[in-house]
Formats: sequence, structure tokens, C-alpha cells
Amino acid sequence: MKPSVKDRIKRQKLKIVISSAAALLLVLAALAAPLLVPNDPYRTGSDLIRKAPGGAFPFGTDNLGRCVFSRVLVGARTTIGVTFLLVALSFLIGTAAGMLCGYYGSVLDELLMRIADIMLAFPQMVVAIAVAGILGGGIAGAMAALGITMWTGFARLARSHTKSIKALPYVQAAVLGGKSGAYILAHHILPNILAPMVTYALTQIGTTMIGISGLSFLGLGVVPPQAEWGSMISEQRAYIQIAPWAVLFPALAAVLTILVFNYLGDAVMDYRALSKNR
Amino acid sequence: MKGELLKIEHLTASYGEEPVLKDILLGIGEGESVFLVGESGSGKSSLLRAVLGMENLTVVSGRVLYDGKDITAAGGKQRRELLGREIGFVPQNPAGSFNPLRRYEAQIRDIMGSHGLTWDPEEVTEILEKLDLKEGKKLLRMRPYEMSGGMNQRMAIASAMLLKPRILLCDEVTSALDTTTAARVVKELGMLCTQRKTALLMATHHLGIAARLADRIGIIKDGRMTELGDTDRILTAPREVYTKQLLMDVPRLGRGR
Amino acid sequence: MKINTPVRRLFLRAAELIIILLVLSFLVFALMYLAPGDPAEKRLTSQGIAVTKQVLQAERERLGLLRPFLVRYAEWLSGIVRGDFGISFKDELPVSGKLLAGLKNTLILSAGSFFLSLAIALPLGIAGAVLKDRIPDHLIRILSFVGNSMPNYLISVLLMYFFCIRLRLFPVIAAGDLKGLFLPALSLAIPLSSRFIRQIRAELLSQLEEDYVTGLRLRGVKESDIILKNVLPASLGHVLTILALAVGTLMGGSVVIETIFRWPGIGKLVMDSIKARDYPVILGFVLIMGTIYAVINLLADIAGGILDPRTQKKGE
Repeated sequence: MKPSVKDRIKRQKLKIVISSAAALLLVLAALAAPLLVPNDPYRTGSDLIRKAPGGAFPFGTDNLGRCVFSRVLVGARTTIGVTFLLVALSFLIGTAAGMLCGYYGSVLDELLMRIADIMLAFPQMVVAIAVAGILGGGIAGAMAALGITMWTGFARLARSHTKSIKALPYVQAAVLGGKSGAYILAHHILPNILAPMVTYALTQIGTTMIGISGLSFLGLGVVPPQAEWGSMISEQRAYIQIAPWAVLFPALAAVLTILVFNYLGDAVMDYRALSKNR
Repeated sequence: MKGELLKIEHLTASYGEEPVLKDILLGIGEGESVFLVGESGSGKSSLLRAVLGMENLTVVSGRVLYDGKDITAAGGKQRRELLGREIGFVPQNPAGSFNPLRRYEAQIRDIMGSHGLTWDPEEVTEILEKLDLKEGKKLLRMRPYEMSGGMNQRMAIASAMLLKPRILLCDEVTSALDTTTAARVVKELGMLCTQRKTALLMATHHLGIAARLADRIGIIKDGRMTELGDTDRILTAPREVYTKQLLMDVPRLGRGR
Repeated sequence: MKINTPVRRLFLRAAELIIILLVLSFLVFALMYLAPGDPAEKRLTSQGIAVTKQVLQAERERLGLLRPFLVRYAEWLSGIVRGDFGISFKDELPVSGKLLAGLKNTLILSAGSFFLSLAIALPLGIAGAVLKDRIPDHLIRILSFVGNSMPNYLISVLLMYFFCIRLRLFPVIAAGDLKGLFLPALSLAIPLSSRFIRQIRAELLSQLEEDYVTGLRLRGVKESDIILKNVLPASLGHVLTILALAVGTLMGGSVVIETIFRWPGIGKLVMDSIKARDYPVILGFVLIMGTIYAVINLLADIAGGILDPRTQKKGE
């Protein structure tokens, strides 16, 4: 027999709790990385090169004798931090633009949506690689390169939600009652579009992480020696035959983190779909 | 009473918590026509769904017997072979019940093929003509989305009758049509069933339509069969207050128009 | 006079495409103009020439870097119309020749991984939808979920480690043959097919929810007929859109994969050009990729309109 909607919602809630606990743990670990590292992640040592995992180095050491475990931890800070920052910026810019377009319409709407169309008419990674490449790498460059296309997703979503909420009778009543646009946006629109916007933001974390670490892997993002999973893998892959741990552990960390955030995003999305249909 | 083809025994069913059908008792004989009359949401469509075994409706207690066999929980192949071939169905929204983008010919071929019947265009056009649809060959090359509601409705009836079912279930076949067309379609359908000795179980909110064609009428309210009897008896000597109310809502009701 | 709708749509979309390409090329051109780093200096140092002010100025003059921005853009644009993408800063060979040579290899790699993805995703996506919530569906969902969370660079590094180093089944540097194509194509195909599986499954499930599926079932139509003759053809339009959009992912991914496997495609070319600040090549790359992507999506859109004529009516 099929589980009832109630049971399915309950199960979805459990999924959200578990995955958000895992995500929180990852974020905390990333934040507390400087306190947790057993060794200095940047200290090189010619006598410590490519040591197998064990003892003082739980994940071994890399080609320059740096502690892989410490680097993975500090790398979490970079990867997760940059990802969060980029998603948050895209969220803010996109949501604001989308709300303004959706509420006021007219020329501004046309202009911004045309720009969004143009951005979406190109493959995101192609634009990102070209832009990051031209900007000459670096975290800011990589973020700008991904952000150029990323905000459009938020803007489109915020715009369509704003439009449908604006059409609701009670919002129309507020408009006719002489409330200012800013008041309605802040009191009626924003609280109502926040949930779908945050859900969308959650689903974007995994993709953004793949994008950021991918650019770093290509040397277009985080610049070595700063620890970041993508650049660590790129840096150490030449020695994978003799020191596979220096590649496999950051790889594992990246996959696990992306899995957790993707799972969380999916769980929240499914939950919202379920409770909407009830 | 004639031999019972379809028998519904103390059926209670629900979509979730609250039952939509409560202790329904009904038997339909070979070739007999029974109309279920009630307002929308009364449960008359749900009764048809229960007979068809639709997934989202859960039978809480009671049984549905077809030809003496319990089909309440029939599934898979058994159910599939029953549906269409033995128990025909004309849904409320006929256009939506066909793939909107496929030609009728292809869809009817599939329906017949699924039951091991061979496709004969002459037979189809003949039935369509009886339903007042000329140029059947041309219509068969059209797709549901290109047709009007009335045309789709008759296509649905034709495709159901082609399988020569022993009983035909119809759900509000008139709701998509204007009043004149509705009356005509139901009349044609009734004639077709009489000719072929097909039993008919039709759900409608229109007592006037039932009055003209039904052998027996069942009144359904809030999931209960409040009254069931021969058409004449229901029309001339209703026992329940609700039935009397329904009769009053039908203007100038007399048998034989 | 009434103009034939599909033809009109095609013209409108083509016009839109040209405008989009113009705007984007302008933006990228502007970005390069403002970008840090001096191609002339880069070129001189890479040739081992001592960089003096005079030499640098002469080199800038020669590369046309000193003329006003709009003049340079207009010149470049008029070249594009004639199929001339300019001269590479790095070795002064025509950019179009470089791009074309790389494009051929990239197309081979992309087509290979695209069909590999389809070969994996179509049966699994269909199976997932048909067997929804049964054990095979759960397995397929877990698999596609994990695959979808794996960055392609990571997959290729892992594949290389296991197949080339551990098992020694493949050479580390991909040869141009079919065997050499396999690992790079697989690296791209794993995340892509995972995405396809999820999307195809979801699309089929939403089709299976359509009223007509219930309608056909209630008439006793065989499940295989419902899936093969109705649901699959009906989802084709949406699936084509999904596939066309994925070409973009494939293009970005091929840059990464080509760099790792040293596959001589346009992606590797652009990475080399980025290092050399060889702007004309980067610009050509964006333009070519953008055009191909937009044209493919345009075609998918038109095909979708032909497959489902109802959408066109709605759009009117």
C-alpha cells in the first residue's frame, strides 16, 4: 500500500533534519578549521614529503610535505565559504532585481529580463571559464565569472513569484489603499517569496561548489598555496601514483559535501512540493 | 429481477480519512440501465471509480462482484482484461481521456489490439454514424485536441462500444455539452445500449435525463444510496424528502417528453 | 496577409539569436579591454625578448592594441562576418584555423559522451519511471544522485587513477582513437547521464500523471502500449529541450576534461590561450560555443513545436 501524504511529509521532514544536521556539522567544521587542524596546513617539510596516512598525519602528507588532513579542513573553509558567499550575493542581487522587475514592470523589467535572457543564452561554464580566464584567476574573478549567470536564476524566480503575489486580492487592496511600493514589497511580497527563494538557494549550493572547485582545478579560481579542494586535487594529481591519498581525501571531502548539500536541497524541495499538494 | 451482472455489496470506500461511499448496495442485470442521480460531490462518480478499481480510492469494506466473481481488489492483468472489454467506461472529460496528440485511429487500434480485437474501419464508421457523426473516416485521422467537446464525447462512446462490453459505465457524459447536444447524445447512447443489450450504469446530476432512459434510478446523497427503485416508482411515488426535492427541481417532467 | 507561424517564429528566433550574440561579443570584448595583464608584454616575455618601453610600445602598436576600443570592436566584428576571427597574439596564426582544428576534436569528444550519456540514461530513466518506488528505482535514484554530485574533474582524476594507473587498461594521455576517447567521454558522461536520468524520469512521471494515461488504462490498453506509443513520444519534446540545454554543460565540461586528458580540442586550446592572454582565441571560443549552443537550442525548440502543435497555438 502507498504511504499516505501525512507519512510522506513526516519522512521528508526527517530527511531534512538529518541532512541539515550533516550540513551544519560541515559548516561548523569549516568554521572551526583553524582550531581543529593538527598541523599547520601551509608548513612544508622536505623530510615529510608524501608520507602515507597514519600517526601525526591522519590523511598523510602531500608532495610538499604538508598535512593533507589539515589542508582538507582548511580547504573546507575556502570551498564552503566562497560557495556560501557567492550563493548569498546572487540571492541578494537576483531577488532584489526580480522583485523590482516583477512589481514595477515596464522598462526596467524589460531591460533586466533581456539581460537575463542573454546570460542564459550562453552555457554557464563556458562564460565562467572565459571571464575568469580574462580576469586572470583569483577568488574574486571566479566568483564574478559564476555570478554573472547565477543571479539570473534568482531574478527570474523572484520575478514570477512577485508577479503572482502582486495579483492577489489582498495585495491589490493594499495597492489601492495607497500603500507605497516599498511598503508592499517589504511587508507582502518579501515574506511570501522568501521560502521558495531560500529553497532555490539551497539547491544551488552543490552546483556552485562544483563550479568554484572546477574553476580552481583549472587554475582560474583559488590560487595555490591557499588550500581549496579543487586546486589541491589539481596540484597533487601528478603524484597520484605515489601519493594517492593527497588526491583521494580532498576528492572524498568534496563529494561528501556536495552530496550533503544536494540532498538537503532536494529534501526541502520535495517537502515543499508535498505540503503544497496537500 | 434479471441475472445480476454487476453487484455492489455493502461498499464503503474513501480517498483518505472520511468515506465518500457508505454501505452502497446495488445490483445491475444484463442489459439493464441504471442511473445514479446526485449532486456533484455526492459520491456517484466515486461509485463508478470503485467498480473500475481506480488506484486512489480505497475500498474500506464490502465487495464488487462482476459476473459472480469478486473483482474488488483485482489488479494487473485480470483488471486490464476486464476494463474496456467487459466493463466499458465513458469518462466525464472525454477529450482528456485520450492522448491529445495522437490520431483517433491509432488510439482506437491500440485499444482494440490490447483486447485481441481486430481493427475494422467500417465497424467504427458505422457506430460513429449511429452517434450522428458523419465522415467518420476523416474524424479518425484527427487528434483529440483538434475536435470539439461533443465530437470527443461521441468518439469516447464509440471507442467504448466497439469493444462490445457487457456493461457500460458513464460518468456525467453530458457535462461537457450544451443541453440540446447532451439530450441527443444520451438518447443515442441509450439506443445503442438497448440494441446491443449492453447494461448501462450512468452517473448524472440531471434527474430529467435519467427519467427518460433509466430502467431504475438510484438517488445518491453524501455517499449513501438514499433511494433506489424502478424509474416509474421514483418519479410517481418518491419516498424520501430529498428525492421529492430533486423532482421539484426538474421542470415539466413527464415521461416521453 | 498571414505569415506562416513556424516560419515566422524561426525568423524571430534567429533575429533574437543575432542580437544576443552581438551583445555578448560586445561584453566579452569590453571585458578584455578592461582586463588586467598586457598581451603584448606576455608575448614578448614568452619569446624571451627583453621588455623595454620602446619595444613594448611597438609591439602594442603592431598587435593593434593602441587604437580606440570601438574601432577595434568594429574591425573585429567585420572580420567575424567574413569568417575571420583575427590573428592569434601567441603565434600570429589565424584564430579561425586554430578554433576549427580544435572544434573537430571537441565535437568528437562531445558527441561520444553525449551518446554514451543517452545510452546510459534512456533505459535507466525509463526504468525508474515505470518501476517507481520499487527497488530498481531506488537503486537508480541513488546512483544518479551520487553521479550528479560528482564534479567531472574529480571523476576523470579517479577514472585515470583506477583505469590507467591501477589496472593499466588505458594510456594516461588519451590517444586520438576510440580507446583514447573512452575515458574522457565517460568522465563527461557520468554526471551528464545522472542528470538525464533524473530529468527523464521526472518528465515521464509527469506524463504518467496525465489524465489520458488513466483514460487509456481504464480502457484496458496494454501498459507497454501506453509507455511506448503514448508516454515516450509525448515526452520527446521536453526531453529534446533537456538534451539541448545539456550541451552547455558538455561544453564547459569538455574544457576541464580536455585539459586533464590532453585532448587536443577547443577547450584545451582556450586554457592554453588563457595562460598566454591570447584574447582573440578566447573571444572566438566564446562566440563559437555560444552560437552552437544557441542554434542547438533553437532547433530543439522548433522540433518541440512540431511535436506538440498545441504549444504554438498557446503562444499566439
